[in-house]
Amino acid sequence: MSGVSGREITYLEAVREALIQEMRRDPEVFLLGEDIGVYGGAFGVTRGLLEEFGPERVRETPISEAAIAGAAIGAALMGMRPVMEIMFMDFITIAMNQLVNQAAKMRFMFGGKASIPLVCRTPAGSGTGAAAQHCQSLEAWFVHVPGLKVVAPSTPYDAKGLLISSIRDNNPVIFVEHKLLYRDRGPVPEDSYTIPLGLADVKREGRDLTIVAYSVMVQRALEAAERLAREGIEAEVIDPRTLRPLDRETIVRSVCKTSRVLVVQEAPAACGVGAELAATVVESEAFDYLDAPVRRLTGRDVPIPYNRTLERAAVPQVEDIVAAGRQLAREGR
Amino acid sequence: MATEVIVPKVDMVMETATFVEWLKPEGAPVEKGEPLFVIMTDKASIEIESPASGILAGVRAKPNDVLPVTAVIAYILEPGEAIPTQRDVHQAVSRLPASEGKPGDVAREAGTPAADSGKVRATPVARRLAAELGVDLASVPGSGPRGRVHRDDVLLFARQREDTRPSVTQKPSAPDVPLPQARQREVIPLAGARKIIAARMVHSAFTAPHITLSLSVDMTEVVRLRERVSESIERRTGKPLSFTAILARVVAAVLPDHPYLNASLKDDAIILWGDVHLGIATSVEDYLIVPVIREAQRKNLAQIAAELGDLLERGRARRLTPNEMTGSTFTISNLGMFGIESFTAIINPPESAILAVGKIMDTVVSLKGAVVVRPMMNLTLSADHRVVDGATGARFLADLKAALENPYVLV
Repeated sequence: MSGVSGREITYLEAVREALIQEMRRDPEVFLLGEDIGVYGGAFGVTRGLLEEFGPERVRETPISEAAIAGAAIGAALMGMRPVMEIMFMDFITIAMNQLVNQAAKMRFMFGGKASIPLVCRTPAGSGTGAAAQHCQSLEAWFVHVPGLKVVAPSTPYDAKGLLISSIRDNNPVIFVEHKLLYRDRGPVPEDSYTIPLGLADVKREGRDLTIVAYSVMVQRALEAAERLAREGIEAEVIDPRTLRPLDRETIVRSVCKTSRVLVVQEAPAACGVGAELAATVVESEAFDYLDAPVRRLTGRDVPIPYNRTLERAAVPQVEDIVAAGRQLAREGR
Repeated sequence: MATEVIVPKVDMVMETATFVEWLKPEGAPVEKGEPLFVIMTDKASIEIESPASGILAGVRAKPNDVLPVTAVIAYILEPGEAIPTQRDVHQAVSRLPASEGKPGDVAREAGTPAADSGKVRATPVARRLAAELGVDLASVPGSGPRGRVHRDDVLLFARQREDTRPSVTQKPSAPDVPLPQARQREVIPLAGARKIIAARMVHSAFTAPHITLSLSVDMTEVVRLRERVSESIERRTGKPLSFTAILARVVAAVLPDHPYLNASLKDDAIILWGDVHLGIATSVEDYLIVPVIREAQRKNLAQIAAELGDLLERGRARRLTPNEMTGSTFTISNLGMFGIESFTAIINPPESAILAVGKIMDTVVSLKGAVVVRPMMNLTLSADHRVVDGATGARFLADLKAALENPYVLV
């Protein structure tokens, strides 16, 4: 990490800054997606980039996610470094075949002679009142696929460093942003820097239980941890940052220390990332240190409702994490 | 709705209680507030009131069960209501050997889920620790849901085992003397109050070097005083005026002038107490309780008589709270009513002295060259020589004697 300053920018600005710095550094880096040029992207992430880099490097596409992914894969195969944007993660379903059957497989099927240095940026998550088709958290689907990497930053600092690493990585990376985090501010160095993929971050230290959370749930877990601390419960908050490859060691080490683990995710429970995190703990040497069952706190098993009250109730909130953390920390004590 | 009957926490440091008896049979109607069962803590036997009105059902606790605080031991049901399905079934920590049972037969309470499945519910770390510490998980009470054993349960169990392993009757250095070959009439478990008394007395006898000082007191004036004021005090307080009450009043009045007799040795310091919390050693059936008159130095004879009468009455009914039986700074032990002429007592730790009181006996004494008969009483002071020197104790006894022989100075 270099160029430390007290400067604070938003998560959205951190993503944009990473794009700008990589595009200036490497002429092979270019962007493609729906409405990313004149309009600046549905959330404004790419605003101003068309003006600086021109329509060759900031390419507006038709409304066809399959075409965006296919074109990006082709360009990546030929040595470019495309950063494609899927406007809402929900629409990634249409790009599934390209990403899963093509991007993830090619390096292996060509015996390592081909590589796909592709980044697929996409905002996930609920909380904006955009209802069931614009609010999903589908990261688990991609974590399940060998050949893909999946990144889900929770802070402006992590967003910038991880996006730069993702662009420089020679493998396809699904870069999951969160709509509610775009306006979060935090310290971000102006200079370019990288955060290695596959390295978790201990966002808060504690001795009584470990909360593993990613994306927006990290911020909620941190707020919950503050409230629990007022009750005398010290929660450690671990942010894996990269869901694949997963930094198992940091999580296991923490659980060995605290003996209790709460896994929090916005997506529904079944076969989610939280299930993988829980299994990681139970299969590891941390098993012999567990003093309570591994607990998952996840989104409910429903499509995200349009009604704002129900939408809020459908995914873990700070008070839910506090309650689950309190119960877990007190079990058998 | 069914109300759970639980083992209550009646004392701050209490973790378990020994179940003594049910005062109502299963199926009996009970009223809220009515005495329901008796438990014995480390300090006392206590009657516990029913938490609700209804029918007593699902009775689980048996005499001599050692139960963790909050263990559900029965339910109070409304008419026609069924016993709830067993949730969070607490198990006896252990069964004390009942007198008719085989000594050392530590059984797990039957009918619990854990017993049914033959498997102990325990967390991984609890299992690992149990293996490391050589603890049998089946005998560890679980504090988690459905009796699951957690790390802290194993650690607590191991610690309690350490605490009790060198038991008070089996000091490591004690020679292994074989028991006589005789018919056993009964085997009483060394538990609860008996066990605490045993441990404290051993501790006191072998750590505090006792000195004993003895003198006789002419009780003529005390006897006269009692005759004169007894009726009026009893009328006012409803309690009889005993010699013990008068003695308590006089001791409380004299003690503040002798702070080392009202003191505690703690680590490397002697704490001189500013109040006289006077313990009155009392025998209730087959065990000893020491109810405490707090700030006795501030109380007049009528107040002390009333308070002592109340404490003793409730003590005999086993209705004193643990707080009323702890925290004394000096103890009086009176065995005069049994005809004991004089005796020496063992200091009640952490106090520095105890006064043993004998019977008032008409005795031939010489007074100003004449032979007279006077009601005489023996007082024997046991004091911790680490805190109290012989002369210090002697001055206290002399002042006490002077005050008893002329009690009017206190009025």
